[in-house]
Amino acid sequence: MKPFKVAIPKSVEQASRFQKSDDSPFIAGGTDLLARIKEYVVQPETIVDLKRIEGMTGITSTDDGIRIGALTTMNEVATDGSVTDDYPALSETIMNAATPQIRNMATIGGNICQKPRCWYLRHEGYSCAKNGGSGCWAREGENEFHAIFDNQVCAVTSPSNVAPVLVAYSALIEIQGGEEKREIPAEDFFITPDQDPGREVLLEPGEVVISIHLPAKNRTKKWSYTEAREKQSFDWAQASVTMLYDRGGRKGDHRVVLGAVSPAPLRRDDLEKILKSGSLDDAMIKKLQMKIGDGSHPLSQNGYKVPMLRGLIAQGVRNISGRKEG
Amino acid sequence: MDKKPEEPPEGVSRRHFLKGAGAAAAAVSVAQLPSEVQGSNGTEDEPTILGPGPVPIQLRINGVDGQTEAAPSTTLLDLLRDHQGLTGAKRVCDRGSCGACTVLLDGRTVDSCSMLAIDAVGSEITTVEGIGTPENLSDLQQAFIEKDALQCGFCTPGMVVSCTALLKENPSPDREQIRRGISGNICRCGTYQNIIEAVEHVSRKGGK
Ligand SMILES: Cc1cc2nc3c(=O)[nH]c(=O)nc-3n(C[C@H](O)[C@H](O)[C@H](O)COP(=O)(O)OP(=O)(O)OC[C@H]3O[C@@H](n4cnc5c(N)ncnc54)[C@H](O)[C@@H]3O)c2cc1C
Ligand code: SF4
Ligand code: FES
Ligand code: FES
Repeated sequence: MKPFKVAIPKSVEQASRFQKSDDSPFIAGGTDLLARIKEYVVQPETIVDLKRIEGMTGITSTDDGIRIGALTTMNEVATDGSVTDDYPALSETIMNAATPQIRNMATIGGNICQKPRCWYLRHEGYSCAKNGGSGCWAREGENEFHAIFDNQVCAVTSPSNVAPVLVAYSALIEIQGGEEKREIPAEDFFITPDQDPGREVLLEPGEVVISIHLPAKNRTKKWSYTEAREKQSFDWAQASVTMLYDRGGRKGDHRVVLGAVSPAPLRRDDLEKILKSGSLDDAMIKKLQMKIGDGSHPLSQNGYKVPMLRGLIAQGVRNISGRKEG
Repeated sequence: MDKKPEEPPEGVSRRHFLKGAGAAAAAVSVAQLPSEVQGSNGTEDEPTILGPGPVPIQLRINGVDGQTEAAPSTTLLDLLRDHQGLTGAKRVCDRGSCGACTVLLDGRTVDSCSMLAIDAVGSEITTVEGIGTPENLSDLQQAFIEKDALQCGFCTPGMVVSCTALLKENPSPDREQIRRGISGNICRCGTYQNIIEAVEHVSRKGGK
């Protein structure tokens, strides 16, 4: 690595101001950023360490749900009693991700802000639509793990296991830039390349994710998280399906969100409507399977993701129908 | 590791330093500033800036406090191997993708290649050298030998660290739990089965 300076801010305001003035990247767990520095994909003069800012870790229960500090490690989130009891899909998706070591280091804020895994993007020698150039190498090149939806401009997949689950729970991402705070629904936080090819999340320069709020009103015992990956660890998902059924006990309030098949988590309200239309039986599975590939444009090597999704959603329906009420 | 008591570098009084560091005092009481960056550390409104040159870094490794000088961009792994002569943790992928560099940070396994040494300040670091020595092997290290749980041995330090952490958390893991426990460590020689047996052996005997 090219030696860099480390700025240790005392508050979010300081971190924010410093980053904005000089475009230095934030570092949280470092598991993504350091790898990109080692590959010379980014070569910062200074990095801004968020880890020593007080009040950024831990999970607190509030009247309306739980609030997870952005610097809480993935392992702490996945093993917290309030998460395993009330937001089990979040715990499940984290335990499927990466390795025990990475889950002990990586933070949930870093997880949702991590850069995509496109191998062209992570190679210093390539320039493309995503990093200031034009065109996409993957569309005509090696694209086995790339997106099948929304892949016209740039075919990266959203690498975060956590992201689609946050969308399914309608989590709020709490952000601070300078002294200003704002909350963005997870569904809007993750953006697609046609919105802005240069970023994956709706953060402006200087903005820090400070916490994630999971609303109590969207809890449900009828949930499923299914995913497929080539290796059980050390790998990223090839496709995932998060399903929440009767959120908050409200009949028909369902969420179906696909992960790892498009540049941002893909909420499928057409599939949610089908779920609403009948009982969780084989006929329902058939209907969902028929529909799930709609809108996809597989590239030369990733057409397998469509049948993979069909398998995952079938398992998802079975998981939900197998779960006991309350 | 050198056991000198903490001493501020010349020209930076400890008091001045801590004042400037404010809320970040936890970090910097250990990673003290070199005098050339002193100026940027003077106010409450600006972040403390370390580097890019070497800074004194205080770490607690295998129960011993010590201080060393390294650039703040140094990974914990490079600090252990290149500055502390602790070569048990191995540098294989350097990207969090193999587990050969696994050490314990406050009892939890981490890939030391994928974090900065300055971020280990204030934590208890345990390397494979702290788990046992050739003269005084831990039960698990002994079991690795008895169960032939290594071939080339390159993954072994990381495996021993992960399995030690696993047994501490769960003294009688089943096979699935052992598999999960070592799912962040790759063995290129494929000795997984014997590693699982070594862990089971220790677990049966109530060792660690
Ligand atoms: C072998 C391996 C396998 C993996 N498998 C998976 C997997 O299956 N699923 C999965 O989801 N992930 C996987 N990962 C990725 C891993 O989860 C991420 O690297 C990690 O979550 C990033 O978190 P971090 O705290 O280390 O982030 P950092 O590396 O510190 O930061 C990542 C990015 O986010 C920005 N950032 C961090 N925190 C904030 C914040 N609070 N506000 C604003 N910006 C911020 C940083 O500037 C940086 O650009 C894997 C990684 C490895 C090495
Ligand atoms: S998928 Fe996106 S990041 Fe990868 S080469 Fe294409 S444009 Fe670049
Ligand atoms: S060397 Fe650190 S994980 Fe491979
Ligand atoms: S013994 Fe050779 S890598 Fe494991």
